[in-house]
Amino acid sequence: MTAIVNFARRSPLYTAWILFLALLLGIGVFSILTVLAQGLGMTNLTNQLPWGLWITVDLSSIALGAGAFTLSAAVYVFGLKRYEAIARAAVLIGLLGYTGAMLALLVDIGRPDRFYHPLLYWNVHSVLWEITLCVMFYTTVLVMEVLPIVIESTPLRNNRWLLGLAHLLHRIMPVAALFGMALSLLHQSSLGATYGVLTARPVWFSPSAPVLFILSAVAAGIGATIAFTVVTEALQKRQLVPPDILNNVALLAGVAAAAYLYLKVWSWAATNYYSHSPALEHDLELLGENTPYGFTFWWFEVLLGALVPMVIYLWPRTRRSKLALFVAGALGILGVIVYRWNMTLAGFVVPMDWSPGVLRNLEVATYTPAPIEWGVAIGIVAYWLLAWSLAARFLHLYPEAEGARRVTGHAPAEAHEAAAPAR
Amino acid sequence: MSDNTTTVISRRDLIKLMIGSGVSVAAAVALAGPLTPLVEQLASGLERRTTAESPRQHPRWGMVIDLSKCIGCEYCVYACQATNDTRDDMRWNIHLVDETPTGRTFHITRPCLHCQNAPCVRVCPVAATYNRADGLVVMDYNKCIGCRYCQAACPYGARVFNWEDRGDEPNPYVPFWGTPEVPRRPRGVVEKCTFCIHRIDAGVAQGLVPGIDREATPACVNACPVGARAFGDLNDPESPVSRLILTRPTLRLREDLGTEANVYYIPPEGMAL
Repeated sequence: MTAIVNFARRSPLYTAWILFLALLLGIGVFSILTVLAQGLGMTNLTNQLPWGLWITVDLSSIALGAGAFTLSAAVYVFGLKRYEAIARAAVLIGLLGYTGAMLALLVDIGRPDRFYHPLLYWNVHSVLWEITLCVMFYTTVLVMEVLPIVIESTPLRNNRWLLGLAHLLHRIMPVAALFGMALSLLHQSSLGATYGVLTARPVWFSPSAPVLFILSAVAAGIGATIAFTVVTEALQKRQLVPPDILNNVALLAGVAAAAYLYLKVWSWAATNYYSHSPALEHDLELLGENTPYGFTFWWFEVLLGALVPMVIYLWPRTRRSKLALFVAGALGILGVIVYRWNMTLAGFVVPMDWSPGVLRNLEVATYTPAPIEWGVAIGIVAYWLLAWSLAARFLHLYPEAEGARRVTGHAPAEAHEAAAPAR
Repeated sequence: MSDNTTTVISRRDLIKLMIGSGVSVAAAVALAGPLTPLVEQLASGLERRTTAESPRQHPRWGMVIDLSKCIGCEYCVYACQATNDTRDDMRWNIHLVDETPTGRTFHITRPCLHCQNAPCVRVCPVAATYNRADGLVVMDYNKCIGCRYCQAACPYGARVFNWEDRGDEPNPYVPFWGTPEVPRRPRGVVEKCTFCIHRIDAGVAQGLVPGIDREATPACVNACPVGARAFGDLNDPESPVSRLILTRPTLRLREDLGTEANVYYIPPEGMAL
């Protein structure tokens, strides 16, 4: 107890931040328990618009975790060992993203008590079944990747068995990373396919959705890892990742953002502009009249969410600026959230036209999340930030950080040295 | 990525990668062992499908709704609500007023269309909704996890979700329009029109003919005062539905999607096919 008080006295700002996040997390936990007890009737979701804010949180959360598989694959599959300097941070963000998403999904499904049903009852023809299995397996991979970091940078390393486990996990890391890459390539794309395969809704049906989902996830996921890193560097007033590594990773994010932007604009041009599909034109007109869809698409998804980050990452001068990297990361996160929100809502807002008549008299759906939905969403964001804030301070996230004692999985003797974190 | 300290991929790494893929495949095969019952379950699902396609072996239940007769009285809607115990905002069978291209008003009602190639069946992650051999698209309320992807996939908006626990709130359509014949569904699962499957199954077991014997016929068909709805076996050329399809022009909703619905509509007057 006195240790905690002393710690709080030494770092009052940090302690206040942690307490603030804990409060938000408390709101989230309260909201989650309330929904689990009372049911989804408390939300503003309807039969016409059955997916909303939580699905957006879930999709965005998984997308932002995409830095994990990209950088893990770079280190363990393609042998670019130096990138471990940032890969651990990416893997942690990945784990937070996936666990946050699974939490959001658990609250969102009508029968959380049956969460394991996809494991027992298979429908191999369902893209959602594939996603569920991939996400479950990949979260296991992420736990395997994060566990050694936790063991090695906390007093847990004093336990011989746990330390042995950490070394074993290190040794099988290449296989885990390969699995992780395969699983991620599958489900990150399938999340787009969730909407893309639904032929009945013209604004959803699109073969490019799966690829757009994974490209936007890779760009925003790496961007998020960079942004979290530069903010942590600024707060801890030390260099965490060697500049050349950060520079190359930012370049990778820029290439992904460019690929995303190129496909996005062409996807729009081919389906929404040049094709003149009457059904799609009608739906887009309805969307334009009833929602800020067009505005948010161009401003947040394309311009601020993809073009600006791409320029920042690809232009060497901005790429060297930590502030610019933070701005690019934050805009990328915003862009991916708006994309997932628009994608989820667009298809539901426009009513389907199945009657042989000409009136099209089914009503346009409207949706504003209920307070309880915001409560859960805030709780999940607080969970990411709280876990990150604690990990950045107490775990050995950046092996190449200034002032960090080197810890590698292959050298148990060194691991013992790395007692407390740098400060 | 421009990393000049390391080559992007060396031969050794490539070999490692190949070994890795080999391990993945081996693991997948090893995993498949204990999961054999599931694989068999899957195979039996495929079998079911082929038998459903061969005529004569099974009935294929279907409905014909005559839009030139429908007067929009909504008796079918209320009879369904009483029989299947549904709320106003969870109707399995809905009524719309629409207009033909020539400007004539007509009424249309829409149950679940029981598609043979149902989008909801394809997307369900736990196979809680599936095609029975007799063509019915049924729900297993004990499997459903309530993800609502089927609601997103259904082109006809035919599925409703149990947002709340309905407890024992009264049903205003009971007893005037009928009495509930099925239990209320629990909170958190999706439901939809069943073609009154309980009547069909009980009737067939007693040797009755759905579509002809009222006890074995869906409530909405019995309730229609103008005979706009017919029910029966689409595989039997003598059934009421087959005769209508053979003699009258019919359409199916969103035929372009290839859903192969088992509900046919006779178009209203003033609508060319």
